[in-house]
Amino acid sequence: MHKSLKVPKKATPYLLLFPIFIYYAVFWLAPVVSGVREVFIGMDGGFTLTENLKLMFQSELFSESVLNTAAFAAISVILQYIIALVLALLLSRKFTGSKLLMFVSMIPMAITPTATAILWKTGLVKDGWINSLLMNLHIIDQPIVFMNAEGFNAILLLIAIDTWTVTPSVMIILIAGLQGLQRELKEAAYTFGANKWQILKDITLPILKPSITTSVIMRMIAAVQVWSIAVMVLGYSKAPFLVERIAFYVDAIPGVDTSTKLAYTYSFLTTIVVLLATVVYLRVSNRNRIAGGGEEG
Amino acid sequence: MMDRLSAVQKCVFAIILAGMVMLVTIPLLFFITVSFSNATEMTQFPKRMFPSGEVTVYVEPEEGGKYELFYDYKDGNGYTSIITTNSASKLEKHFARQYAVTIDGDELLEEFAKTRTEGAREFTFKKDMFYNFRQFFKIVPNAGPALKNSIIVSLYTILISLSLGSLAGYAIARYKFKGREQINVGLLIVRMFPTVGISIPMAVMLIKMGLYDTMLGLAFLYSIPNIALTSWITSSIFIGINKELEEASFVFGANSVQTFMKITLPMAFPAMAASSMYSFLTAWNDTISALILTNENQTLALVVYKAIGTTSSGIQYAAAGSIVLIIPALVFTFIIRKYIGQMWGGVEL
Repeated sequence: MHKSLKVPKKATPYLLLFPIFIYYAVFWLAPVVSGVREVFIGMDGGFTLTENLKLMFQSELFSESVLNTAAFAAISVILQYIIALVLALLLSRKFTGSKLLMFVSMIPMAITPTATAILWKTGLVKDGWINSLLMNLHIIDQPIVFMNAEGFNAILLLIAIDTWTVTPSVMIILIAGLQGLQRELKEAAYTFGANKWQILKDITLPILKPSITTSVIMRMIAAVQVWSIAVMVLGYSKAPFLVERIAFYVDAIPGVDTSTKLAYTYSFLTTIVVLLATVVYLRVSNRNRIAGGGEEG
Repeated sequence: MMDRLSAVQKCVFAIILAGMVMLVTIPLLFFITVSFSNATEMTQFPKRMFPSGEVTVYVEPEEGGKYELFYDYKDGNGYTSIITTNSASKLEKHFARQYAVTIDGDELLEEFAKTRTEGAREFTFKKDMFYNFRQFFKIVPNAGPALKNSIIVSLYTILISLSLGSLAGYAIARYKFKGREQINVGLLIVRMFPTVGISIPMAVMLIKMGLYDTMLGLAFLYSIPNIALTSWITSSIFIGINKELEEASFVFGANSVQTFMKITLPMAFPAMAASSMYSFLTAWNDTISALILTNENQTLALVVYKAIGTTSSGIQYAAAGSIVLIIPALVFTFIIRKYIGQMWGGVEL
């Protein structure tokens, strides 16, 4: 009957997976290998272990870009989760207009990053809409010059923009997690005389923990790759980040030998950072699964 | 008992809610207004919150058939003199560039002739609301082709990710085989892998293959995380699809290809639609890889990104361009919103 099935059953899954093996071998593994190789090939074409890494360490704004990326990822993620958690706890009950809130909250995340950057640029310029709004509300008398922000202030500005973009959707995720929370558990705790704070600390947060930890790592992976808002709002080299450096060497000063090498090396570093985060993610999600937490993502 | 709110609590609740909605919508509202603003409105401060639909000018008749044009910048100085002219083409240009009013110059002169009999007076004209949009495609010469490119690269990405990804998803869902766990972990790593990390070696490789600066080459890069994502989303659906149905189909003489096409595929359709929309968003929203992998054939997101660097005086055109960029991304995100929560660590929305 199964005449058309000539291949033995055992081979079928491998046959189905064969195309993506080929695909990833050609379009992923090969570039990864040649990208890593480039990092260890010097300007003269010979093997070198540290030449390009040294070149990167000594390149302009290297330490700033590392520190900024770390500060951006850490501060923005922590800030976004604290705000989102507070909002989620306040708004987790069903209320009229909760659908509307969800709808509105989806918008910032859905906007193309390029567009988000322009949106905030039109606001942050001296005669932009932020100053217009603040003046109309009589909060300030004189327009504030945002675009001159430098160093840490520039990072804070970008963190604020990122927070606007990301927090609403983080809130949705946490609200979703809270709505799955069993009400009986809370009521039982109440009956046994627990107060609101104890319920939050001992019941709500532990239940939310798996979904918080995994989504935090996902967010961090995205935050490490920040660049377009930095470049489009402030310009190159104003707020250096790892990926911003890659774009800088490719886009702003292309064609120079060292800039290609630097772009390779920065790509390598970014990849290492993201992969480390992925390893942490895998460990955490495995632990959660073993502990019977949320489904694996 | 816990969920009954007092009047004060209700009030605080409402304020927080309103505050949140306003924090999201007010920047958007201003941004939309910017994209509909004409050049004159862009120089005004404070900026309007809602877009205006018309422009009012004040015209005084002058000697020699000329008219003096005044405009109120709302800066407290009242009407300010702008130009004195009798040239139809000059007026036409001025109205288009400064006020986004597209009107024939001779028609304007005809209108202004009324001041000869009635005396100096105000005139109100309807703004061409899509002036900035048209201007964007005019000023950025490759914006039109870029829009087409963005659509093409998105379609390629969807096609590649869906065909390869759903095959893998099916294999992972339906068969127990050696190395299944490892493949799952491998797919997760590829999914998280920053595409920017391999964009440069990918460019070198695509040059060798003759695919540099083509949408297919770009789609090959965008498909890397999306094939893995598609296989993950579809495998979770295939697991849920009733296996007996497939077996019944075999009994009635269908081969595995027919069964897959007629039974399994239609049932997996929602998951496949969702994953193709993720593919769409990756291809549609990316700038950095497009920057590295293309030269002449740019995508819309890249063109908008470049426009903001070059047209500092005409940011309203770039804003209009990014509205064009936002709308499809927004529509698709709302379609896939159910799956976004799952993406972010397994929460159902």
